[in-house]
Amino acid sequence: MAVATIETSGLTRSYGEICALKPIDLSVPEGEWLSVMGHSGSGKSTLMNLVGGLDRPTAGALVVGGQDLSTLTEDGLARFRREYVGIIFQQHHLVPYLSALENVMLSQYFHSVPDEAEARHALERVGLGHRLKNRPGELSGGEQQRVCIARAIINSPKLLLGDEPTGNLDHKSTLMVMELLKELRAEERFTVVMVTHNEEVAAWGDRTIYLTDGVLVREERTRS
Amino acid sequence: MNRRRWLLKMMFQALAHRGGRTVLLLAVLAMASSLATALWIVSLSMERRIAEEVRKYGANLVVVPQAARLDVGSGGLNFGSIAEPSYLGQSEVERALSTSGITSERSLHLRGALRYQNADLPAEGVDFAEIRRLFPWWQVKGAWPAAGEAVLGGDLATRLKLKPGDRIELAGTAGPIPLRISGTVSTGGEEDGLLFMALPELQQALGLTGQLSQVRLMVTASGDSLKSAAQSLQRQLPSAKVNEVRQTAHTSEGLLAKVKLLMMLVTAVVLVSAGSSVTGTMSTTVLERSKEIGLMKAIGGTRLEVLLIFCAEAALLGGAGGVAGYLLGSGIAHFITRTVFAASAEFIPWMGAVSLAVSLFLALLGSVGPMVSVFKLDPVRSLRGE
Ligand SMILES: Nc1ncnc2c1ncn2[C@@H]1O[C@H](COP(=O)(O)OP(=O)(O)OP(=O)(O)O)[C@@H](O)[C@H]1O
Ligand SMILES: [Mg+2]
Repeated sequence: MAVATIETSGLTRSYGEICALKPIDLSVPEGEWLSVMGHSGSGKSTLMNLVGGLDRPTAGALVVGGQDLSTLTEDGLARFRREYVGIIFQQHHLVPYLSALENVMLSQYFHSVPDEAEARHALERVGLGHRLKNRPGELSGGEQQRVCIARAIINSPKLLLGDEPTGNLDHKSTLMVMELLKELRAEERFTVVMVTHNEEVAAWGDRTIYLTDGVLVREERTRS
Repeated sequence: MNRRRWLLKMMFQALAHRGGRTVLLLAVLAMASSLATALWIVSLSMERRIAEEVRKYGANLVVVPQAARLDVGSGGLNFGSIAEPSYLGQSEVERALSTSGITSERSLHLRGALRYQNADLPAEGVDFAEIRRLFPWWQVKGAWPAAGEAVLGGDLATRLKLKPGDRIELAGTAGPIPLRISGTVSTGGEEDGLLFMALPELQQALGLTGQLSQVRLMVTASGDSLKSAAQSLQRQLPSAKVNEVRQTAHTSEGLLAKVKLLMMLVTAVVLVSAGSSVTGTMSTTVLERSKEIGLMKAIGGTRLEVLLIFCAEAALLGGAGGVAGYLLGSGIAHFITRTVFAASAEFIPWMGAVSLAVSLFLALLGSVGPMVSVFKLDPVRSLRGE
């Protein structure tokens, strides 16, 4: 079995009285594509934010890429995010006044140095070579999501996180995005954790876990 | 691409994206800093103008021998009636001036009587170079005197029926003094009744080498600092009397102080209102951009890095506002001084720094509050737009 990219034990996150994530033990081997399903409010985003170093656990151990995230400072987490993680959001969260190209370069800026040629290449890979100069407002939802993917992979992350990346997309765009992610993973060999409501989208992964009220209730291997 | 250049480009795009608000902020910053600059320039110009007036109105300190009395009430520099003339030692005065460290223009005077056609003729020994520099209102008909020459007060010339070019012979204690009248002077003051000749020549004629009857000082100070200059000079010259001359400039000084106070109040009001306006606009902007801030943190920006981007953007605005404010403020200052005070404003380059500082201060102060509160949020909450 491969080295674990994500290893949690007793991972807990509560907001005051509300326990969003009951103690969870989870191990995600390197290169695996894990789908996370569950009804609304079951703690999927909470789990993903913890794994991506965007949030801190209330209790439990959380090791990602060999790093014990609970020992990192705020700035240490920021550095962990830029070095190790690529994130795709349901709401895209593209900067409205920057072009597609510049949105990708923003990620490079925080990682190291903006490199236009590299950013253009990333956008070409997601099929947006012809929309480099367009701002998010001039792009369709699917195109925006592809800019978001280009931005997520630009610094060659080891871990790609998606919080319902296809939640706002129609069937055709969803297929396109999933196809694209599959191709990219084949080339880049990053680990994927993807939250989704859609069984069909979840089936693109190697394994699906199901959360209910912050508890990991079931897991399923989608292909051998 | 260079990181800093890229960042700058990004900031310009961010500012252009919110064009209307950027223009509004710039206008407020430029107005506030221009007003502060303009009022400052105006009051500096006024101050300088009053310093000029002080020079124009003549001496503000007069040193006379202890026994002599200076009649201030008459408005002029009256020597009074001196029963027993006493004098100041020229070298003593020079020494006192240099040790007291007072920066001033000065003119040395010796007053005495010479005999002319069996009558006393009031004469004054002066340095004509000093006179020409310090008493620009002297109108000399004919020429300024060279050695062996004298200028005659207008009234005296009329009374004695003398004109430029005439030669006269005067008598002093040390014998006859032949003089040529080079010109006549009319000031409308007591000068019109005096004969002026070179100080050393009169000193010699009267047998009073190195003696003076009056030193007029134009100290570049006013109010309390003039008073303390007078006191320190007085300590150096115990045998003399140092008098402050009340002049019109004092009234202008009082007025200037009031105008300055008014200007400071106006500036304070402008700064406070501009500050609150900038803070309001900036906090709206920062709150609107909380998702952007959350995103920057999410993709790996540390809090400091992201904060710096926003501060740099505010500084960019502040800088632009400051430059515009300086240009605008100089214009306003010129307009005010020309129309209200009928004088020309100074061109003061370092005011650019003042304007810049005011504008930067307002822009940063206005954004620091909202920024700090947003930056304390974790990326997840910022992304949600909280
Ligand atoms: N900042 C917060 N403060 C308080 N409670 C929170 C906070 N964030 C999440 N929660 C709560 O934690 C629980 C899990 O939230 P989470 O966002 O992980 O759900 P989710 O599974 O992602 O739901 P959805 O499918 O709707 O996105 C919810 O009950 C939610 O109300
Ligand atoms: Mg969610």
